[in-house]
Amino acid sequence: MATQNLIETTNLTKQYGKVRCVSSLHMQVPQGAIYGFLGPNGAGKSTTLKMILGLAKPTEGSITLFGMPVNEKNRIRLLADTGSLIESPSYYGHLTGEENLTILQTLKGCPKEDIDKVLRIVRLSEARKKKVGHYSLGMKQRLGLAAALLGFPKLLILDEPTNGLDPAGIQEMRDLICTLPREYGITVVVSSHLLSEIDQMADHVGIIRKGELVYQDTLDSLHSHAKQQIALRTDRPDTVISLLHQDGIEVQKEDEYLLIPMIEDAYIAGLCRRLIEQNIALYRVEKREKSLEDIFLSLTGKESSL
Amino acid sequence: MKTLRLEFYKTKRRKVWLTMFALLSVQLLWGLWSMKDPKEWELQSGWMSLLYFLSLLDGIMVPTMMSVLASRLADIEHKGNTYKQLETLRSAGSLYHAKAVCGCIIIAVMFAVQFAFFILLGYHLGYEGNPEVKYYLLSYVLKVAANISLFLLQLALSMLFANQMIPLVAGLGGSMAALLLMFVTTYSFLPWGGNLSASLVWAEWDETTRISTFCYRAFSPAETAAVICIFVWIVVFYAAGRILFTRREV
Repeated sequence: MATQNLIETTNLTKQYGKVRCVSSLHMQVPQGAIYGFLGPNGAGKSTTLKMILGLAKPTEGSITLFGMPVNEKNRIRLLADTGSLIESPSYYGHLTGEENLTILQTLKGCPKEDIDKVLRIVRLSEARKKKVGHYSLGMKQRLGLAAALLGFPKLLILDEPTNGLDPAGIQEMRDLICTLPREYGITVVVSSHLLSEIDQMADHVGIIRKGELVYQDTLDSLHSHAKQQIALRTDRPDTVISLLHQDGIEVQKEDEYLLIPMIEDAYIAGLCRRLIEQNIALYRVEKREKSLEDIFLSLTGKESSL
Repeated sequence: MKTLRLEFYKTKRRKVWLTMFALLSVQLLWGLWSMKDPKEWELQSGWMSLLYFLSLLDGIMVPTMMSVLASRLADIEHKGNTYKQLETLRSAGSLYHAKAVCGCIIIAVMFAVQFAFFILLGYHLGYEGNPEVKYYLLSYVLKVAANISLFLLQLALSMLFANQMIPLVAGLGGSMAALLLMFVTTYSFLPWGGNLSASLVWAEWDETTRISTFCYRAFSPAETAAVICIFVWIVVFYAAGRILFTRREV
């Protein structure tokens, strides 16, 4: 049986004036996944997530949540099973952490005991009576996650949850997110502009560039694109190309280099011997690896920040 | 109801009530100072003069307080970026409604306390007879309505602008306008003139005897229209504020 998609967008578009922030997006988030929504700053990640949560109105397209098309009438009912943390945490600085959660617990209509549970999960139990205005940024971020976890929703949408956290905080947040599908059956959508972060958390990935979804699949599939190649530099590349074609090997020319697929050492040794015999100068034989970063950059454009 | 209850919960430690009662204390002190040692003619028309005095005081002080109240209720949401979370749990319209009702309740309570304070003061000073219930009740209702209309205007501004200087400046400007209006007219269609239009008592100042004569106002058609206008403003400001708040994107 096919896995149900908790979120499905069709032709989702958002335009502000003449600027298209999100363009014909077809996003599919399978149940039980940690879906990494990756893209450079300003690519349209937050706008997309806001549209899914009904905080911004799509210019075109539709959104399906839990298999139901979202409209203004059922939006709040469908979102009852969703937790979110968009951009920065929301909080009342003059109230304590516990009081902040009480407000949301009342609005969500979930049991009061959930407050203790989520505070324990994000390790804020000891700071529960402290005013949130006196929390550090990391604590506020964790409180934001606790608020999103209240009622243990089926779907959690986290927009750049590690923003502003120190390395230890990032690690902690990451570990926490990774446990959610396993321990609580929560499907997580987490956005980031950092490939390494998504690589460590997600099992599904969607890459957005200038408002367009340029890649969407499992992370394993993205990794399979990270291929290794052999690069050769000679004084007579055209002769070498015909030589390689005679051997049935695909060759690609890139600047002064010839790129061939990863091949066994014995063939490379034989090739080098043949080139020398034919008086072809062999300047370089290098192993090239296309990293996940290279794939990301090729999908999102070299000018994008990582 | 749940959302409304939470509005009051959110005002915890915000000293909203304290701010309102600080205003009342200032009014009471002003009253004690200006009404001390009343003369006999002042005791005779004491209850009537009290209504006039309250309208005067409120016209000067309350418009600013309404902008402060609206700002205190709205800026907690702006400061904590809470709309983006709240609006996934409740519709923007119901959040706006809860804020508006919360403010209206605070205003109603504040003026009830104000009336109670001043009626006790009247008895303490020895005003003759008793306050006329009909006029005091009507006065209370009109005063609350006038200030609710003003509060709803300020609330719309405070909810829409994250920078609270904008609504506060509008409130201060309005207060100044209200003060100037008192010198030139007996009514106004401007929202800040509501306290003036809603006054049931008017005073005639006799320069020769230096005595004010108080009388219940016989409302002219224009003055009646100004009173009706207060209720129109309530509907307009609430609807406009709610529509604009609901339409904006977080």
